[in-house]
Amino acid sequence: MSGLGSGATVYDARSLPQDDNVNPYSFCVALDGEWFVQKGKMIAYYGRIKFEALGVGALDRLVTANFNSPLYIQDWIVAQGKGQLLLADRGFDVNSYDLEVGNLTIRAANLLAFQPGLDLKQSIVPGFVTLIGTGKFVAASNGAVHFVEPPIRVDPEALLGWADCPTPCHHFDTKYMRGALGMARRLTGLGGASGEEHQYDFVGTGTVLMQSSEISIDPNLIPAQTAQQNQPPGAQNIPGLPNLPGRLGRLLQ
Amino acid sequence: MQGTRVLAVGLGGEAVKARNGTMIAYDGRMTFKRLSGGGEGLRGMVTRRLTGEGMTLMEVSGEGTCWFADRATEINLVHLTGETLHVESSNLLAVEQSLRTGTEFTGLHGATSGQGLFTTTVSGQGTVAVTSDGPAIVLRVSQGEPLSVDPGAYVAHTGQLRKEFVKDVNWRTFIGEGSGESVQLRFEGDGLVYVQPTERQTIGGQT
Repeated sequence: MSGLGSGATVYDARSLPQDDNVNPYSFCVALDGEWFVQKGKMIAYYGRIKFEALGVGALDRLVTANFNSPLYIQDWIVAQGKGQLLLADRGFDVNSYDLEVGNLTIRAANLLAFQPGLDLKQSIVPGFVTLIGTGKFVAASNGAVHFVEPPIRVDPEALLGWADCPTPCHHFDTKYMRGALGMARRLTGLGGASGEEHQYDFVGTGTVLMQSSEISIDPNLIPAQTAQQNQPPGAQNIPGLPNLPGRLGRLLQ
Repeated sequence: MQGTRVLAVGLGGEAVKARNGTMIAYDGRMTFKRLSGGGEGLRGMVTRRLTGEGMTLMEVSGEGTCWFADRATEINLVHLTGETLHVESSNLLAVEQSLRTGTEFTGLHGATSGQGLFTTTVSGQGTVAVTSDGPAIVLRVSQGEPLSVDPGAYVAHTGQLRKEFVKDVNWRTFIGEGSGESVQLRFEGDGLVYVQPTERQTIGGQT
């Protein structure tokens, strides 16, 4: 067989990178204490680590202190103990970020783990959570992450999160919908929506995180309650706004 | 290897065994022969039928180069020098002719982890191509340093390892809540474990 000698690196508990990426798709947490981890993202671990559901007995303290999101509490567990914990998420790119007395909002389903030094709060934008405080967190993205500065408009599916800037607002390309033709489009949904009439608008100072793909998360693969939340509110949900299948189309459904 | 997702095999009259339908291109002269029952003879064929660790192999022989790939999954080459590789049949792409394949009873835990009761073994001297969803991470297990792996991320292992099915102490708290980390495979002993950065068949039946 040709192409021999692909000497794959063999890791053990000591040679694993500590709090760093093993490869672009998985991250090793040198656990000594507690981390919040999203359910089902652990792929392997060394050492003595216990996983407990949130809201169980002794963990109530931690939950009341750090986890302010009843909506997502079912999706999270706490890893306790000492050892090396490997995290990965469907082969997505995984990266860690440090936050220092900061705040960062991120798509809930893309957040894999965070230190209890951070407080998790539900964002007012559905499907997103905000981390406040100091600590490290691990997040996944489909493709590499790009950091951009406002003012910028981002496609809802490509948006991962944002830091230190005001909450975004929706932006709709209303020009496209003006006039008789636009009215016809709006009513019938025919005549071509480019699919890019709706964006998130960021202004002010801060950083916006984008992924290089518009496939955010397959709703079938994430727990039920995040599935709905994760979809950014498309124009379909908001009456009078331009998008497929149009108002008439909705009536016919 | 060409990239990490295509396996190129140069043949000079010898043969390789590969999973049916994974050939994507070849040049030179090649013959493809289906090997019923994974080329393990009648007994192996019956065993595979019975165990559900189904696997159709073909024997590729000739002269030239043959390229194999499977749904753009990452390909990992494992070199065996006499030891045995345990691998899920769905992750096996190709093996050298000199290697023996077989089935093995993995114990009852296989049924609960959704991997079936049996696993495929490859033993002998030569190279095995194993596919994984995302590049596999090789983790060493040694005495006093056990490793726990999510069943969905497990791909293969070699060496003298005891595979044990572990339920987390608080597993009851997970009941009715789908997959948590309540179920793990614990490996003890000496050997290597291959894990992939994806969890198959966990929440929504991926793959």
